[in-house]
Amino acid sequence: MKGAQLLVKALEQEGVETIFGYPGGAIMPVYDALTESPLRHILTRHEQGAVFAADAYARVTGRPGVCMATSGPGATNLVTGIANAFLDSVPIVAITGQVPTGLMGTDAFQEVDIFGMTMPIVKHSYLIRSVEDIPRIIGEAFHVAREGRPGPVLIDLPKDVANAETELAALFEMPRPGTGAADPAQLAAARQLIRSARRPVLYVGGGVGIAGAVPEFRAYAQASGIPVVATLKGLGAVPTRDPHFIGMLGMHGTVAANYTVQESDLLICVGARFDDRATGRLDGFAPNARVIHMDADAAEIGKLRQTDAALLGDLRTALPALPTDLSISDWQRTCRQRKTAHAWRYDAPGDGIYMPDMLRRISAADRDLTITCDVGQHQMWVAQHCQFDRPDQHLTSAGLGAMGFGVPAGIGALIANPGSRVLTVSGDGSIMMNIQELATLRRYDLPLKILLVDNASLGMVRQWQELFHNERYSEVDLSDNPDFVQVAKSFGIDAFRVTRRDEVDGAIERLLHAEDAILAHVCIDPTANVWPLVPPGQTNDVMMEEASA
Amino acid sequence: MNHTLKLTIQRVEGAVIRTLGLIERRGFSVTSINTASDEASPHMEMTLEIHSPQRSVETLARHVEKLFDVSDVHLIAAHAPAAPMKESVAC
Repeated sequence: MKGAQLLVKALEQEGVETIFGYPGGAIMPVYDALTESPLRHILTRHEQGAVFAADAYARVTGRPGVCMATSGPGATNLVTGIANAFLDSVPIVAITGQVPTGLMGTDAFQEVDIFGMTMPIVKHSYLIRSVEDIPRIIGEAFHVAREGRPGPVLIDLPKDVANAETELAALFEMPRPGTGAADPAQLAAARQLIRSARRPVLYVGGGVGIAGAVPEFRAYAQASGIPVVATLKGLGAVPTRDPHFIGMLGMHGTVAANYTVQESDLLICVGARFDDRATGRLDGFAPNARVIHMDADAAEIGKLRQTDAALLGDLRTALPALPTDLSISDWQRTCRQRKTAHAWRYDAPGDGIYMPDMLRRISAADRDLTITCDVGQHQMWVAQHCQFDRPDQHLTSAGLGAMGFGVPAGIGALIANPGSRVLTVSGDGSIMMNIQELATLRRYDLPLKILLVDNASLGMVRQWQELFHNERYSEVDLSDNPDFVQVAKSFGIDAFRVTRRDEVDGAIERLLHAEDAILAHVCIDPTANVWPLVPPGQTNDVMMEEASA
Repeated sequence: MNHTLKLTIQRVEGAVIRTLGLIERRGFSVTSINTASDEASPHMEMTLEIHSPQRSVETLARHVEKLFDVSDVHLIAAHAPAAPMKESVAC
């Protein structure tokens, strides 16, 4: 057996069913071995599409996503996606071909030190020097990718190792240690803090979904009655329609959520990490609150905010141990009243399309819809105005903010769960970063619904230039965009254009009921902004709102 | 004021550069390194003097502990823990 065949066998043993990738010179032995394997390979049209699809596949299935590319440019094209998985704690295994070991370090054709290049953005990485190491490295890589706080693992495979013959057939069994329980003294301190709090808030992040602790989190939020705010990745940890849910916090969070956090006397941070987009100016974030931090990652404790109690380990056992007999009815009433007083308004004047309202209607029309996003204004409107009943209904590039994530993520979500209904909300800037993946939709007949929000500009950058750079607009005009309807049709994808508010209901109907891939090109007011907005460097109680609101 | 980190790391490709890269990336400068290893041992002992005007060395030590190639971390902090960061807004 060759090293490449051993690698493919090891992937099969790990339970891998699907690989997203793109072939090339140095990885050819593995592609040869794939022809004799039941593994399904999805050919994207760019390696970045493959790694983003693998990322979304992992977010939907909870199992590591696998992507593969050749050496040199194939490998470097994975880098953005690996960074995306690193910042959003997504388990992926990225396999790259490498030039033969004898040529490494000689600037050979398509040689790049991807092992060295990706060190800052991987959880761990391997360069396979010996064919005998393949089973162990594959076993370890999948274990490292998914255990504790998940993340990306890179495996670089030189071509001579892939071609080497081996007698090895026995596969590696990785020991699986259990997750630890929280420290009893810290738990006692946390219980005391909760009992004595008058204005507690549950600040929930993506860690709850990753830990599989959504039922435990909901049970605790329900039993304790503590108001809940969520980060971008925490949306859906409790249904966003839930009365205890106050809203998303942070830069584009709701007024109610930000005031709730600022006034709180106890922040119970569950699987979140005090990211600057959530906290605003850190020394003014929840200035009067004590902090309980619950996380799987010890390095998050005290990284940005001092904690009064730290509960490390499995959220599924820590959450049920927290007290629920609280006397916070005044605080609950205050939070509920503020949520009502600052509820979103959808009565925008004019007959142009008001995107927050269109997104709200789409989300209301199909509660089971999975939404993938690109990055920019449309991404924030989705977070603000769509409803989510589960965290994995909302797939977004949160930590990295990588434009181009949306369409490949839609592909990954549909491959992961073929019967599901998936909508990608993209912008006219973002979609052009991975437009080639429309060919992948066609190739595999994936019924992705695409809502392309077109404001003929890089809207979020334009908004910042308007507000913080004295309206000096620099390189944000995209009024020379291609005809997106014709672009989609040339890829064999049905498409239509919407420009007036009275067309919105019909467009939603057509989009949601399409059986094949479809793109709705929605033209909106180029001057529309995302509100509210906490200006950079300000505390979260300084929120700019729309002048006419 | 220098802190001292005594590490036991696996003698595998990339382990040294991975550890040093993490320390510098997380805001510390390395002012001295000593390494010792026995040819027969799969491990290497590494003693580092490190410095940061602002960052918490305890947080750094927890990041280093997470590295798959690092099997033991012993920290001798030079003084009381650093104050938490005040400015966190990236851009």
